[in-house]
Amino acid sequence: MSDTSRRRLATAAVCVALLAVPLAVRDDYFLHLCIVAGVFVVAVLGLDLIVGYVGQLSLAHAAFFAIGAYTSALLFVRLQWSMWLGLPAAAAFTGLVALALGSVILRTRGHRFIIITVVFAELMKLVATNWVDVTRGFMGLPGLQIPTLYVPGIGAIDIASKERFYYVVLVAAILAFIACRAIVRSSIGRKFVLIRENEALAESLGISALRYSMIAFAAGAALAGAAGSLYAHYVGFVSPDLFNFSYVTIMLIMVILGGKGTLLGPALGAVLFTFLPELLREASHWRMITFATILIVATLFMPRGIIFPLLEHLVPRRWRIRNAAA
Amino acid sequence: MPLLEGRGLTVRFGGLTALKGVDLAVGPGEVLSVIGPNGAGKTTLFNVITGRVRPTAGSVLFRGEAIERLAPFRIAQRGVVRTFQKTEVFGALSLQDGVAAGALAHDDPDPAARAREALSTVGLQDKAELTAQQLSYGDQRLLELAQALAAQPAVLLLDEPASGMNHQECTHMMELIGKLRARGLAIVLVEHNMHVVMTISDRVVVINYGEKIAEGRPEEVRADRRVIEAYLGVDRQADARAR
Repeated sequence: MSDTSRRRLATAAVCVALLAVPLAVRDDYFLHLCIVAGVFVVAVLGLDLIVGYVGQLSLAHAAFFAIGAYTSALLFVRLQWSMWLGLPAAAAFTGLVALALGSVILRTRGHRFIIITVVFAELMKLVATNWVDVTRGFMGLPGLQIPTLYVPGIGAIDIASKERFYYVVLVAAILAFIACRAIVRSSIGRKFVLIRENEALAESLGISALRYSMIAFAAGAALAGAAGSLYAHYVGFVSPDLFNFSYVTIMLIMVILGGKGTLLGPALGAVLFTFLPELLREASHWRMITFATILIVATLFMPRGIIFPLLEHLVPRRWRIRNAAA
Repeated sequence: MPLLEGRGLTVRFGGLTALKGVDLAVGPGEVLSVIGPNGAGKTTLFNVITGRVRPTAGSVLFRGEAIERLAPFRIAQRGVVRTFQKTEVFGALSLQDGVAAGALAHDDPDPAARAREALSTVGLQDKAELTAQQLSYGDQRLLELAQALAAQPAVLLLDEPASGMNHQECTHMMELIGKLRARGLAIVLVEHNMHVVMTISDRVVVINYGEKIAEGRPEEVRADRRVIEAYLGVDRQADARAR
């Protein structure tokens, strides 16, 4: 069997397994975690474009996630736009916010860039908290709903149950993965990597670091906005808590410990680090200490992320080279 | 008409004048060397030409058009490409991927082919799958040249391409520069190795304390009293003659 056939077979097997989850597992809480993990997959694929491919450590990603959630929520509450319209609108608006922000802050690098992204996130939290007329402040925006799905020839399908919303999130995660993979394999994505590896050299050869960093920043933010919209409609409520620093911390853990600059690594990281804290609930008081210990050990012994040891042990060598270079 | 021209280039950093009204011009198929003591302003001159430093006064013309206010990437896209004094490569990438950068920047329809061609020109085609970090220092200098060539330059600025190279590598580098000149490239060379400068240059510009103190053919410059006093010195001049 050729490498291509094996790869296709493996991909098909993973797809079948993912499709079978709601059929095989009837546990509501497990499905809830799967949905949250799927939402995180969409968000961290966007963060991987920024952190993993262009090499900019953005701490504004949770703010983009929250901006997307609020955009979709406000469009639903004020204009009765369903999620089907709210989600693309949230992605587009968040992408535009990132473009405006990026046109200013992507002229800086290193610690200055990181600090400005933190300040931006905190400012956005203050806006969500204090612009009470629009956001209702700490009371948040409740009552968001999951819309009905109309399929030509079949009619309306209620997707509000966890079993069905799981498929919506799965499709979103797969589409996000396909879109990101198309970007990183294009000439645009190759320029991202060149900027990450040596920005001054890339510029001296004719590549605009600002332009391509902005493309990654805006595309990554748009994905975070889309994920925020999905999350808002899934939980039915948004509040300024979405801007909390803990969200961006966990997203960075997913990307970096997953294996930044690989797409697949952060996607696996999103699943692993959504489930891991829950699996550790058995450890009771020791839960967070155990979680922290696992993070430290993983950082020390898998500095390039979990994806690379996985590739080395599970994937034939000739497949690896292509994946590692992605 | 020269391909690249610098007119009255002046750069001041606070109270320090790094360049004082420097003029230079280079045409297709010509090698112009810029020499001078350390700190004379040679690299600043390269930085001005490639847009990394804006001149306080003066202008840089490429094909008659002022480019001194353009961003570095735009200047490179026009066809003025440089290498660096300290080796700059895409360390973790394969030679093939790193060299393709210049072609990608120009939206070349086949960056891989362009990269192979550039690697072949400098003689690194058999190492295309290695990463830049795996190369020797001499090969990294050649890689830098390949990176610049894939960007399809009309003017190539080489900042000390032979520095740190042994005699054999130096000879290979000189042959390469000769080949590129034969292809019609305009080459501006900053180099301390007088053997290289005197052998391959068509003209030499000498800078001292940011000021141009001499310009002419290599033999003219070598005999110039101000150049001998400021840079070559008696021993180096004798050495240059002996070679």
